[in-house]
Amino acid sequence: MAPPEVFSLSQQTPVTCHAFNADRTQLAVSLNSSDVLIYAREGNDWKHIDTLSEHDKPVTSIDWAPQSNRIVTSAQDRNAYVWQQTPDPQTGHTVWKPTLVLLRINRAATYVRWSPNEDKFAVASGARAIAICSFDPEGDWWVSRLLKKPIRSTVLSVDWHPNNVLLAAGGVDMKARVFSAYIKDVDKRPGPSVWGEKLPFNTICGEYASPAGGWVHDVAFSPSGDVLAFASHDSSISVVYPGGPAVHVIKLSILPLVTLAWTTEESIVAAGHDCQPLVFAGNQGGWEIIGSLDDPHANKASGGSRSGFGGASPVGRLNSAAFNTFRNAAERGISNVPGSPTASSSNESELFTIHQNTITSVRPYDGVPGNVTRVSTSGVDGKLVVWDVNAVTPIGATGLAGKLGKMQLR
Amino acid sequence: MDVSFRKIDIDQYDEDALLVTELYEADPRDPAQALNDVKQKAAAVRSSLAKGDIVAALMLVLEDAPYGPHLDDAKVASLCANLHLQTLVSILNSTKSSEIPGVVKALSTDAQDTLMKYLYKGMALPGWGDVSGSVLLGWHEKLTEVAGTGCIVRAMTDRRLV
Repeated sequence: MAPPEVFSLSQQTPVTCHAFNADRTQLAVSLNSSDVLIYAREGNDWKHIDTLSEHDKPVTSIDWAPQSNRIVTSAQDRNAYVWQQTPDPQTGHTVWKPTLVLLRINRAATYVRWSPNEDKFAVASGARAIAICSFDPEGDWWVSRLLKKPIRSTVLSVDWHPNNVLLAAGGVDMKARVFSAYIKDVDKRPGPSVWGEKLPFNTICGEYASPAGGWVHDVAFSPSGDVLAFASHDSSISVVYPGGPAVHVIKLSILPLVTLAWTTEESIVAAGHDCQPLVFAGNQGGWEIIGSLDDPHANKASGGSRSGFGGASPVGRLNSAAFNTFRNAAERGISNVPGSPTASSSNESELFTIHQNTITSVRPYDGVPGNVTRVSTSGVDGKLVVWDVNAVTPIGATGLAGKLGKMQLR
Repeated sequence: MDVSFRKIDIDQYDEDALLVTELYEADPRDPAQALNDVKQKAAAVRSSLAKGDIVAALMLVLEDAPYGPHLDDAKVASLCANLHLQTLVSILNSTKSSEIPGVVKALSTDAQDTLMKYLYKGMALPGWGDVSGSVLLGWHEKLTEVAGTGCIVRAMTDRRLV
């Protein structure tokens, strides 16, 4: 039950995305710019050691292949690059060398992930398509095939099935789908699974709508690949058992979740606009919220005086000093103009959670698929945090209150 | 700076544009049937209210509420939606403010989401019928305390507009 490790990578700019190398000694992030920064672990801190500059619009996603040690990046400039460490012919130093990928998309690339065997990767895009890229040794480049039908809008996230063939995708058309991304020259014919038996390229193995019309922000296969989870902008998380067939929907009383990761076959860590990673657990019989990895009460217990006129504790993010400032202004005519003598200390707008803004990415950090022991999160506040997934604070104590995690079978 | 280019409807040049109607499944009932349902419910609600059973009345109204514009018969559809809102408002108005939290807690999550949609619809129609802003705000406050900001988010994202 180690406390979370907190690193402030930037004070002002958001961390768009993050990816660790295999042994977690190096870290690739983008700080809302067109550059990818490589950090190396030094004791308890991260030291900036390299910058990968090739994109000319903001980077949207990074993935670091653990076995082949290659980085793939996607950006709003509609391009993806595969970066490989090679010795520089002039200096002899090892440098990251980019290879352009021919994506053939006419909108921003939004998300990229290596397949489990690291011989393919999938690039989601705003062009209503997902590019499945594989290496063509004859041409010595990465070629892509597009998954198009029946995608109707921007794809926001993808996740690979452990069999290296199936791909889950979720997007703005409010659907989560499972596709076959079978490439003849790369893949062996996959065995039958709960998702289907014959799987030529672009087979639709499943299509699931978000419960109340929200964008599907993130999708993820369970470690076995037999279950699919997705988080959508209607503040809900859905877990799909295709064999059942059953869809478990948890409607939350808090702001939407935008990212999730499976830690075991029966538990998920998800985070988003409520600035704390939440833990969900369940099985084919049903799912429920267990608690939070963050403990807002413990963090700021000594946080000093908080302007607490309100007796009743509002829900979720409403429980912030900023909210109270406006409420005081509205109800009592007290205006705390920053800089005025009545204004309290500058940390007045601080949230009770460790992350001070939306968490945009949660990824496994430590352990093997099916038994992840630690996860890493990064977000708009410029922080990177590593959490012990077993250090769960039950929801009763986190102040989420109410009927959070009320569950139903659809 | 000239920003008029921002108002160009670029979708008209796109043969495969995504239409609003494709974003949700339409109400399966045809407008006349929906109107009939709404009228029957209004009567049932009146008898529930006469017995003072507010929870039962609210559940009646919030279950299978008509939604979405029926493009083929917009007039009936809007009549239907307005009548339903009127029925709902009659319940809201006849509830004592001290009873609201208990009533809201008794509703299912789906019903809470639908109620939130109606509260916002009511606020969007100032001076319409006997909709009173303070009553709506009172319900909104209590509903948010019970169902959280998630309920508001769902009312905003859901395209199945009431």
